[in-house]
Amino acid sequence: MRHDALNFQSNGTRSRDYVVKKRATLTFPKRAVHMPVTYRLAKDFNVAANIIRAQVAPNQIGTLVVELSGDIDQLDAAIDWLRSQDIGISTASREIVIDEETCVHCGLCTGVCPTEALNLDPQTFRLNFTRSRCVVCEQCIPTCPVQAISINL
Amino acid sequence: MRTLAEINDKIQARKAVVWTVEEVKARVQESSVARVAKEVDVITTGTFEPMESSGAIINLGQTDPPIKIRQCWLDGVSAYSGFGAVDLYLGATQVAEYIGAGDVPDAEEFRDRGGGHVIADLIAGKQVHLRALGHITDCYSRASFETTITCDTINQFYLFNPRNLYQNFIVGVNGGDRPLFTYLGPLQPRLGNAVYSNPGALSPLMNDPDLETIGIGTRIFLGGGVGYIAWEGTQHFPLQKRLPNRTPIGPAATLALVGDAKQMDARWVRGCYFKSYGPSLMLGVGIPLPVLNEAIVARCAVTDQDLVAPVVDFSIPRRVRPTFGLVSYAQLKTGRVRIDGKAVRVAPLASLFLSKQVAIELKQWIEAGQFTLTEPVASIPMDRAFLAQDRWGSQITID
Repeated sequence: MRHDALNFQSNGTRSRDYVVKKRATLTFPKRAVHMPVTYRLAKDFNVAANIIRAQVAPNQIGTLVVELSGDIDQLDAAIDWLRSQDIGISTASREIVIDEETCVHCGLCTGVCPTEALNLDPQTFRLNFTRSRCVVCEQCIPTCPVQAISINL
Repeated sequence: MRTLAEINDKIQARKAVVWTVEEVKARVQESSVARVAKEVDVITTGTFEPMESSGAIINLGQTDPPIKIRQCWLDGVSAYSGFGAVDLYLGATQVAEYIGAGDVPDAEEFRDRGGGHVIADLIAGKQVHLRALGHITDCYSRASFETTITCDTINQFYLFNPRNLYQNFIVGVNGGDRPLFTYLGPLQPRLGNAVYSNPGALSPLMNDPDLETIGIGTRIFLGGGVGYIAWEGTQHFPLQKRLPNRTPIGPAATLALVGDAKQMDARWVRGCYFKSYGPSLMLGVGIPLPVLNEAIVARCAVTDQDLVAPVVDFSIPRRVRPTFGLVSYAQLKTGRVRIDGKAVRVAPLASLFLSKQVAIELKQWIEAGQFTLTEPVASIPMDRAFLAQDRWGSQITID
C-alpha cells in the first residue's frame, strides 16, 4: 500500500536488496520538461516512479509528485542524478490539514479523494479524515469551497 | 386537528411539542402517522447549501457633502447602485476585481473572493473597505468617497435572495474526457465522480411538496436570524414532473427570501468559492411546518428511498443536458451510485450535518418561545411554466 512510504524515514536502514519507497516532489526547470525522466529512472536505476500528481506543460515549470521505489542505494543514486539534472527534489513529508473551525462538512472533498481517506460519517454526516490512507494527492485542497484544507510542510 | 393560533399559544406558554423532521421520520417508522400527528405541534426542517442567487441590500447613510453613487466596490467587489443615492445591492457571485493587481489578472488566488465573502464578513462583524464614485448633480455634489464600514455603521443591511431553497436539484457528472469545474465543484472526466446538492429527505420543500403550509409571509430561519418568504423564487417551476408522493423528480419550486442580516450569525452565512467557477454563498435556511392535520405529518414521513434526482452530464454545454436517468437519495447518501453500469463515488454539496443542525437550532428557538409561526399572506403560485430563451424552448424533460 502507498502509505508504507510514510514509514520509510524511520526504518530506512541501509542494506543490499532492501526495497524502499520514498515520496518526492520533483520540480522541473522548463528545459527539463522534454527529458523522459521516469524512463531514465527505470532504465538506469531500476527505480519505479508511481506518479501521484503531475502538472507538466511545455515551457512551464513542471511539478511531479511521485512515489519512488527501488533498492535503497539505487534510489539514492537516482536522487543524486535528478539533482545533477537541476531537477528540484523535496522529500519532506507533507500532510493534509483540515481546519475544523472552517470546515462546513459539505463533503465535496470526499468525491475527489482517490483513497477515501476523506469520507462522511454515515450517521452524522460529519467529515472524517483517516490520515493513514491519505496519499497527499492534494486534490481536496482546491475542491474545498471554504478553503478549509491546506498542506503543511 | 389544531389551529395555528393554538400552536402559537402553546409556543408562548413553552408547551409546544417541536420535533425536527428527522425525529418525525423516525417516530413514524416506529409508530404511525396518526399517533405522531396527535403528539407533535411543529416540525422543523433545515438545509445548509450554496445558494448563489442571494444578495444583500445595503443603505450606507449619506455623506457630507452628499453623493449619488453610480459605481461602488466593497473589498473590491462591485455592488449595484442603480437605485436611490446610497442604496446598494451586493450579489453573492460578483467577483472581486482587485484594482491594482493588474499584473496577475488571471491568478486564481486573486479571483477566489466575491460578494458572498463580503456579505459573510459584514455579518461576522468585520471591517469592509468601501470605494464609491458619484455622479455630481445639484442635489449631490460629491464625486467620490472612500471609507471603512461594518455591520454597525450602515443603516439597512438585509439579505434579499431572489432564488433560494430549491425543491430538489440534479446530480452532476462528467461523461466527457476533460475535467470540468462547475457550480457543483470539480467533475472528473469519464464519470470520475458525481455531486448532488439537495439534502433530500431533510430538505424543507421535500417535506411540503405542494407548498401547502407555507407561502408569502411565512416566518423562517435565515442565516441564523429571522427571515420571511418574500415571493416565489426565480426559475420557480412547480410543474416539474412529480412522483406519486408529490415530490418533484428534478429542480422545481424555489423561493425568494428576505431577512435582516444584522441579526444573522456568521456560522450560518459563509462565503464560498468553486475553483474555476467562482464565488458563492452558503446559507442555512430553516422552515417550521405547523402540524394542522395528519396529511402534513404523512408528507414529512417521506424518506430518502422515496426521493429521486436526475443524473445530468455536464460535458454537454447545453441548457437541456442529457441525463443518465434517476437515482434515489438513499443511494446518493451511501456515497456510491451506479451510473451507466459503473460504480461512481458521489459526494454531497449541501452540508447534511449542518442541515440537521439548522433544524435543531430552529426547534430550540420554538421550544424557548422565541419564534412563533405565521399564517401565509398568500400562496406561492403552483402553476408557473418554465420558459427558456430560444424558439425551441421546452420544459425540462427527464424521462
